[in-house]
Amino acid sequence: MTITERGTGHAASAGYRSDVVLSVRDLRVRFSRAGRSVHAVNGLSYELRAGKMLAIIGESGSGKSVSVRALMGLLPPSAYVAGSAMLGDIELVGMSDKRMREIRGADISMVFQDPTRSLNPTMSVGAQITEAIRTKNTVNRKVAAERSVELLKLVRLPAAERRYHEYPHQLSGGMRQRVMIAIALASNPKVLIADEATTALDVTTQAQIMELLVDLQDRLGTAVIMISHDLGLAASYADDVLVMYAGEAVEKAETATLFQNVRMPYTKALLGAIPQLTTVPHSLLTVIGGHPPDLSQIPPGCPFQPRCPRAVAKCAEHPPLAEHEPRHWYACWNPVPSGEDWALAQPADGVPAEDDTLDDAEQLMTEGFVPPVEPLLTAGVIPSEDNAPKKGEQA
Amino acid sequence: MAVADPATTVAALTSIDVSDRSIKWARLRKRLVVWIPAGFVVLLLLVCFVGPLVLPLPPPVGGSVLESQLPPGSPGHPLGTDVNGNDVLSRLVYGGRASLTVAIAVNVIGLVVGGVTGALSGYLGGTSDTIIMRVLDVFIAFPSLVLTIAIAQILGPSLPNTILALTAFAIPAVARIARSATLRVVNMPFVQAAELSGSPWWRILLRHIAPNITPQMLNFALLGMGIVIVTEGALSFLGMGIPAPNPSWGNMIYEGQQSLSATPLLVLWPSLALLVTVLAFNLLGENLRDEMSGR
Amino acid sequence: MSTAQPAGAQQRVETEPLLSVRNIVQEYVSRGPGNVKAGVVHAVSDISFDLPRGQTLGIVGETGSGKSTLARAIIQVERPKSGEVVFRGQDIAALPKRKLTKVHAQMQMVYQDPFGSLNPRWRVEDVVAEPLLGHTKQNRAQRRARVRELLELVGLKPDTYLRRRPTELSGGQAQRVAIARAIALNPALIICDEAISSLDVLIQAQVLNLFEKLRVELGLSYLFIAHDLATVKQISDQVAVMHLGQLAEIGPAQEIYRAPRHPYTRALLDSIPGLDPQTGIARRPVTLKGEPPSPLNPPSGCRFRTRCPRAQDLCAEVMPPLTEHDPGHFAACHFPLEAPAVISSESLVASIRRTGPAAEPINRR
Repeated sequence: MTITERGTGHAASAGYRSDVVLSVRDLRVRFSRAGRSVHAVNGLSYELRAGKMLAIIGESGSGKSVSVRALMGLLPPSAYVAGSAMLGDIELVGMSDKRMREIRGADISMVFQDPTRSLNPTMSVGAQITEAIRTKNTVNRKVAAERSVELLKLVRLPAAERRYHEYPHQLSGGMRQRVMIAIALASNPKVLIADEATTALDVTTQAQIMELLVDLQDRLGTAVIMISHDLGLAASYADDVLVMYAGEAVEKAETATLFQNVRMPYTKALLGAIPQLTTVPHSLLTVIGGHPPDLSQIPPGCPFQPRCPRAVAKCAEHPPLAEHEPRHWYACWNPVPSGEDWALAQPADGVPAEDDTLDDAEQLMTEGFVPPVEPLLTAGVIPSEDNAPKKGEQA
Repeated sequence: MAVADPATTVAALTSIDVSDRSIKWARLRKRLVVWIPAGFVVLLLLVCFVGPLVLPLPPPVGGSVLESQLPPGSPGHPLGTDVNGNDVLSRLVYGGRASLTVAIAVNVIGLVVGGVTGALSGYLGGTSDTIIMRVLDVFIAFPSLVLTIAIAQILGPSLPNTILALTAFAIPAVARIARSATLRVVNMPFVQAAELSGSPWWRILLRHIAPNITPQMLNFALLGMGIVIVTEGALSFLGMGIPAPNPSWGNMIYEGQQSLSATPLLVLWPSLALLVTVLAFNLLGENLRDEMSGR
Repeated sequence: MSTAQPAGAQQRVETEPLLSVRNIVQEYVSRGPGNVKAGVVHAVSDISFDLPRGQTLGIVGETGSGKSTLARAIIQVERPKSGEVVFRGQDIAALPKRKLTKVHAQMQMVYQDPFGSLNPRWRVEDVVAEPLLGHTKQNRAQRRARVRELLELVGLKPDTYLRRRPTELSGGQAQRVAIARAIALNPALIICDEAISSLDVLIQAQVLNLFEKLRVELGLSYLFIAHDLATVKQISDQVAVMHLGQLAEIGPAQEIYRAPRHPYTRALLDSIPGLDPQTGIARRPVTLKGEPPSPLNPPSGCRFRTRCPRAQDLCAEVMPPLTEHDPGHFAACHFPLEAPAVISSESLVASIRRTGPAAEPINRR
């Protein structure tokens, strides 16, 4: 088994549609928790093309992590998954655990947020890659070891031969993440999912890792799904962007198209909330009050309506995700018009009080909190971003 | 186990889901595992402490030889009598009272003294911590049973001395646990914030550290009940705990063992009582913590 | 709700900086297996700066830069190995521990983990009232009234939130509670240690605005610690960039972003992904070569030289001193950047990514 290297990928210029390697249709994920159903993902559809990077952007509770874990079969038993996800001609939804274990790592693999928790601290780095290779391919240890060193070189780990024998604690965060990428690419999967893979890294390290991912894409032709909360990251690296809110895709387009013409007010809000390097100090950011809806009680109509500055009466009816413009899908009845200024209309003093526009009876969720270190998903543990809301005390 | 549903309709999602039911059953089972042992423990305490006051039990000592070794079911003696003519049931109840008194006393003293020592040690850190822990290490280094036997030998067998001997090894054990639990809490930002807020050390220990280590301490204490009861039983069995003729489950086993071939039941009753009690406390200890920390 | 100040202090405060940090050094002994001393981590190496009253200093640094250590050394939860921390005219680094309580009435901290900084078993009311309990003689009713006031200030409806526990709050709400607690005694300075890093983007914006609002209403000064330059931009008057325990650059915020002098600052700016607001083109970060050095064994001379594209022999031999290049703008570099570079040409070129001919660079240098 060799890692095939394709030619430099700059041939993939605009206009030519590559093959679709992953086709997700109407994916739905529901958890049963404390007698309630948490609708984590509600009808997600997208296509991932070979050699392209799709960025799925959303905040906590948007369902972005849950949706990809559903693809990998990493959800706890209490999860109910419906819909379709075709990896080539293999249907991922509903696959048996046994079959999933064969596919995982070989055809589709994942890199997690915190490399410290994902690597075994008692095994040398090289041993872990070798293990990953030998699980999927019948090669003897020597060949696998050579392959491991090749992989370490591929991910640009300096002094690869020496690092092979080192332990995770001897490497920096960025290096560990490279090792994770090496493990993920060990069997040359068609799809690589990076679940907040750079969130825990410094910005300079993040730049290096993203460069690496893009370079690997060009050389190996791997399609990448990048999960993040950082729209800026999507802007700089992704080919396609999909924005999620309350378990749905609310805007989807190629990167350039999307950023030239942001339509969905939520996406606009995300953009506006990022401090730009050219704003005047001590100016107020444009903010949206409130927080995402309780996923166990999603109101009918548009889920963003309670917080949306552009909400109209029609928003009580759920807007479908439709291709309103060529190659630009969004789910909105009153989208942001072209050429509108960067900033949304600024609220009075820029600091919305909590629950100002929301019903007191709204239940709370532990959203808005990205834990500094995301716990590894283990069987039976519901991912942190989809914790069922706790019942808030009524005023 | 994910279920694929090609016909994705909302109706399909809202239909009764098997996994819902199995989760409800798991939660019910969890509840039972806490409440049944808890109920048993309450019952036990009632019987052993309130029982002697309200139930018409014959005295546990001073029976006549004429009534010795009556079989269970004899009139006035539901469980029979032992070799000395004492009613077995009565001895079981009074013995339980003695054993439980020791167990509760040891655990309470251990919890209070050991808990405070350990928490203080963990919070203060530095040299104080080192000193306290080395002193406690000396105690822990002794094999516990040997230590308690030695103390009991020196002091002589009696209920208060038994309690004293057992606390000697309970306190260091509890202190260890309290210290490690405290260390886990002390590094959390809210303790630092409390210091910045001007809270004095005693308020921090009392209101910040203590509430957050209580679940673990309680868990340890309940498991400790079982250990103490068994150890007391061993001491009494060896003649160094509760002195005969006063009953304790331990010395009842000892006496019953002497006439094992003739009356095996005399060993059975106290052993069974020990077993069930320890099991109840253990179950309670293990599962109460889950309940308290809200899963 | 007025800041009680001794009579003569009014004039003094106007001219003297609120906080004056001089030559702070903090080191940790790193122990290997068997508790054997393996080395010394130079977490903070000789840092000095001033913070005038009413201003915000943003401190930016990556992992291992020592920024959090610096914060702890300033607020004295860990006493610095050496150096002075002159706060309101008094060197608090030299004060005995028992005298620090009074100082903390004027200097508070907001932490990165909103839930970690609140005792999960306490109610919001108790959490916010704790500083009042520790520093004032107010009775229960007075404390409750003040807590209500504070919750209003941070945008939480008192009736809804007084009795809640941290487990019943969202991340943004928990952080607001932590902020309410921090302002309870009307401090002069608040140190925000990555206070918004754990929050979602939209909530970050809310909390940043809250910081601004409180700054204006209560006359607060901030030491705002973050790991990237974009976050502190909004809120800072001055920005300090830390690298491996040292100050690489410090100066007025506008200057730092417009014309950074230190190559590391330039590298940090170049690493930020996103859209260029002027051109609307995706900016492709320029990567820094090499791995960050270990704080256990920092490089000789300039600690950034192993990754610096401008490094020369001199950089390995002599540690560059912090020199003033423009008024109030200091950088520690032997070969500082000269011309104000708004967008580096590399990032412009690199921004033509596979989006096809649609993305055209507007101007090339």
